[in-house]
Amino acid sequence: MMERKVIFEKSSSGRKASYIKKPEITLRQAEEILPKDLLRKEVPLPSLGELEVVRHYTNLARLNFSVDTNFYPLGSCTMKYNPKINEKIAGLSGFTNIHPYQKEDSIQGALQLLHHLEQMLCEITGMKRFTFQASSGAQGELTGMLMIRKYHRIKRNKKTKVIIPDSSHGTNPATSSMCGYETVVIKSTPQGLVDIEKLYNATDDSVAAIMLTNPNTLGLFEENILKIAQIIHEKGGLLYYDGANFNPLLGIAKPSLMGFDVIHLNLHKTFSTPHGCGGPGAGAVGVNEKLLDFLPVPLVDTKRNKFYFNYRVKHSIGRVRGFYGNFNVLVRAYAYLLRLGSPGVVRVAQNAILNARYLSSKLKSYYQLASLKPSMHEVVFSCTKQKEKGISALDIAKRIIDFNMHPPTMYFPLIVSEALMVEPTETESKQTIDYFIETMIAIDKEIKENPDIIKNAPHNTPVTRVDEVRAARQLDIRWKKNGD
Amino acid sequence: MSVLKFTKTHEWAKIDAQTAVVGITDYAQKSLGDIVFVELPKAGSVILQGKRFGTIESTKAASELYAPLGGEVIEINKELVNNPQWINESAFEKGWMFKVKLADVSQINSLLDENAYEELVAKEAH
Amino acid sequence: MPYILNTEKDIQEMLAAIGVHSMEDLYAHLPREILISQPLQLGSGLSEQEVDEYTKKLAEKNTPIAGFNSFLGAGCYEHYIPAALNYIISRAEFNTAYTPYQAESSQGILQAIYEYQSYICLLTGMDASNASLFDGASSVAESVLMALRISQRKKVLIASTVHPEYKKTLQTYLSGLDFITTEVGCGEDGFVDMQALCELSSDEVACIVLQSPNFFGLIENNEQLCAAARSKGVLSVLVTNPSGLSILKEPLSQGFDIVCGDGQTLGQEMHLGGPSFGFLATKNSFLRQMPGRIVGKTVDTNGRPAYCLTLQAREQHIRREKATSNICSNQSLNAIAAAVYLSLMGEEGMRQAGLYALNLTHYLYEQMKEIKEIRFPFSSRFYNEFVWQIPNAQKVIDKLYKKNIIAGFYVGNFYPQLKDCVLSCCTEKKTKEDIDSFVAALRETALA
Repeated sequence: MMERKVIFEKSSSGRKASYIKKPEITLRQAEEILPKDLLRKEVPLPSLGELEVVRHYTNLARLNFSVDTNFYPLGSCTMKYNPKINEKIAGLSGFTNIHPYQKEDSIQGALQLLHHLEQMLCEITGMKRFTFQASSGAQGELTGMLMIRKYHRIKRNKKTKVIIPDSSHGTNPATSSMCGYETVVIKSTPQGLVDIEKLYNATDDSVAAIMLTNPNTLGLFEENILKIAQIIHEKGGLLYYDGANFNPLLGIAKPSLMGFDVIHLNLHKTFSTPHGCGGPGAGAVGVNEKLLDFLPVPLVDTKRNKFYFNYRVKHSIGRVRGFYGNFNVLVRAYAYLLRLGSPGVVRVAQNAILNARYLSSKLKSYYQLASLKPSMHEVVFSCTKQKEKGISALDIAKRIIDFNMHPPTMYFPLIVSEALMVEPTETESKQTIDYFIETMIAIDKEIKENPDIIKNAPHNTPVTRVDEVRAARQLDIRWKKNGD
Repeated sequence: MSVLKFTKTHEWAKIDAQTAVVGITDYAQKSLGDIVFVELPKAGSVILQGKRFGTIESTKAASELYAPLGGEVIEINKELVNNPQWINESAFEKGWMFKVKLADVSQINSLLDENAYEELVAKEAH
Repeated sequence: MPYILNTEKDIQEMLAAIGVHSMEDLYAHLPREILISQPLQLGSGLSEQEVDEYTKKLAEKNTPIAGFNSFLGAGCYEHYIPAALNYIISRAEFNTAYTPYQAESSQGILQAIYEYQSYICLLTGMDASNASLFDGASSVAESVLMALRISQRKKVLIASTVHPEYKKTLQTYLSGLDFITTEVGCGEDGFVDMQALCELSSDEVACIVLQSPNFFGLIENNEQLCAAARSKGVLSVLVTNPSGLSILKEPLSQGFDIVCGDGQTLGQEMHLGGPSFGFLATKNSFLRQMPGRIVGKTVDTNGRPAYCLTLQAREQHIRREKATSNICSNQSLNAIAAAVYLSLMGEEGMRQAGLYALNLTHYLYEQMKEIKEIRFPFSSRFYNEFVWQIPNAQKVIDKLYKKNIIAGFYVGNFYPQLKDCVLSCCTEKKTKEDIDSFVAALRETALA
């Protein structure tokens, strides 16, 4: 393979593409308009032709796995199919070419969409209202936890701690720190659920909230959720729902019925918007009555059949970003929900569970399950048996790449050693899952027959295993002219 | 003649009368994996026993470093910052971090000796 | 059923393999009290054709900005985007991939982000950039948190001329923490009050946040402000419009420690303000305090160049409650779009776009000066937007709107003391004809 150059090395001075038109006014040099010391001397950008740019990025694209090209069972990320009608609608100029400060009468369609999407999410979750400001799940957590903080402050509750199970996503404790709370970590039971006794003992009047993912990161439903809610609520704490794993509950159960006071949904997971190499996403944050007065502004409301931005929220936390949120992502989620309707969402949840449970039933005699409890939409294996034979979860993951599938999430949750977390999602077929199962069994067999092929995997990728240690020790995080 | 002592947080101190050289143990470097970054205190700064004096990072983990003994930092292993792999290669020799002038020699009593530390490691390994 | 591939036969086989009889059996262990007993009211699901037709009607209820003669900017700008850009980033292998955790199957994403980081460094002059953040407002908040970590100080200064929604976001981000934020006002000329900055700077202050061009479009006295801050050990954070850096001086040489802002002007559609992306760049010495993902170049086991995520030990999935930020994702696709945009436009294209915007905006200004009812409260040292004042400004805006002209942003919405002030912007998209017809309508309205 030809060595891949960075785009800057393809530049030829003098080459240009001329995209913009010259104004019909007398052009002055910048120095004639502004003081010279405010201006830069040179613009150190490359000069390329369109074909070079298109070819460069098209060839880069071809080096990646994606949902459209590969099975992508990355646990906790819900890599489901991203319907193309969503893209078509999101590309309409009535949605792309609108300015956030246009008059409300010229964006009634956009506001109606936001309003209707909010109503649908309220119906699905049982929450009272949603804000769409957060750009991701993590920012949704920040939004929700800051609302909880302000709620306690207004009520003059002395709260200092947030309880988080040791199986949680890393964003939960990080968010809690950003809100000025001390994190109290609760150890899970051997089966991977919240330990009710430990929770009870850890919960006192100083607990502001518990942050919980349900199903949790082991793919297990927290069966004692009502008991958990009772313990926290009795001490005046609130329940935060991390909706990263909401997919298997769509149309089946509601976070409001579980006792959650504030939730976030990852629209890029459960509601089919594309992940775009890690963003843009959207975190919709929903609240019950207790937190209505604390929502960020603005909200979208109606008055005399007109939609408008409502900035009147009594104890609003303010805002977590400029403007209103990742609107164009919301358009896609909206199109998805219109298409599914009530029967569709239930089928999503059911097939998500079916696919995961089928996969686990076929693989459990080869790879140890992290828990004996029935899994929901994802299943966590602990590759300890394989590790004893010298093959780690990382090795197995890398070997899966050779079979043209993206590996599962590795080494998470942290409480499972040699973890591989598999989330097939509902959009995959039995045939695809069977292929994954066969591959996993074949890899397990290879451990005895040809371990080196696993240890040196992947073999068919543009590069072999990447030296992450060198990347961190000899930092090179940007191109420099002449390599200096 | 120097004495080697340990903390429960896996730092070692080689004590020589009024001064001590500090680093992290071989067990610590093994559990961290490939070390890619180490942050050391400034020469001349004063550190307190049991308090954070720096940070260490591998590709997979990050950890705070805690001072086995308090006092003034009189010398640091400058080259270590550019060669963090020395901690992996030789935790007790090339991987030393700094030298401290002891503020209170009696602090030594609260540290673990070699046997006690080995016991601790044996327990943690399970 | 849309988007489900399992047939009834598949489902039966799978249920049998699991050892249950029905789909409902799969979640029979959930407590009854939390289950939905009545079907949801979400409609019965639509065909793709119906969704297409319905949402098209919804989109038609909006008037695209292209349907107006618009001079609206104020943090979101209309630029020409080369056709090739959308074509490239719509590639499935960018659009439907996830974060490049598995380096071997994500080399394209990783290299594209490495190049994005390089572009941000080239534009700002800084040493290091992360892989992008959510938007301009949160990039300010993350920059300030970074400065607080570096300095271990407790106070933050922010210029009153920073975008008001960014200021509000910063306030929200810091509301749970024990820090004090103070605003540094501006003089009557619209520039940050240097004396106030000097008086408020002290060894308790972590950083000063400046925006240049500021919310009123003015190019601040960056070098003097940074020097004043530095004399008290205060870090300088700049919020800027990256497309303006095609002609304006690079922030590093002006003395900034951290540069951030919104990348919308680099090839992103406006779509009601999101998604775009936030950028953040800094000096090498502060690199480890940067939040968010970073891509590094390294080699594979055969010694070939390769890329991977690096310095992950700063991040939430390892550090958890001690992480530099809770940020987990970035806006990769938007960041890659920005890199594609800069590649297509190139040195010449970016310089032209900047120069045209500067010329057109100053042309508008010159034309407006001919209308005697209009005043200009601030200096003329602006890049692509400026503030003007006219009696009954809101009525004037409304009258022009009826003629399909969006005159600009009513500044009084954010700064009540600035009555009758309007902020107008020209990018390279504006033509002489657009401007002349705007000025003619303005003259007519002013006379009426």
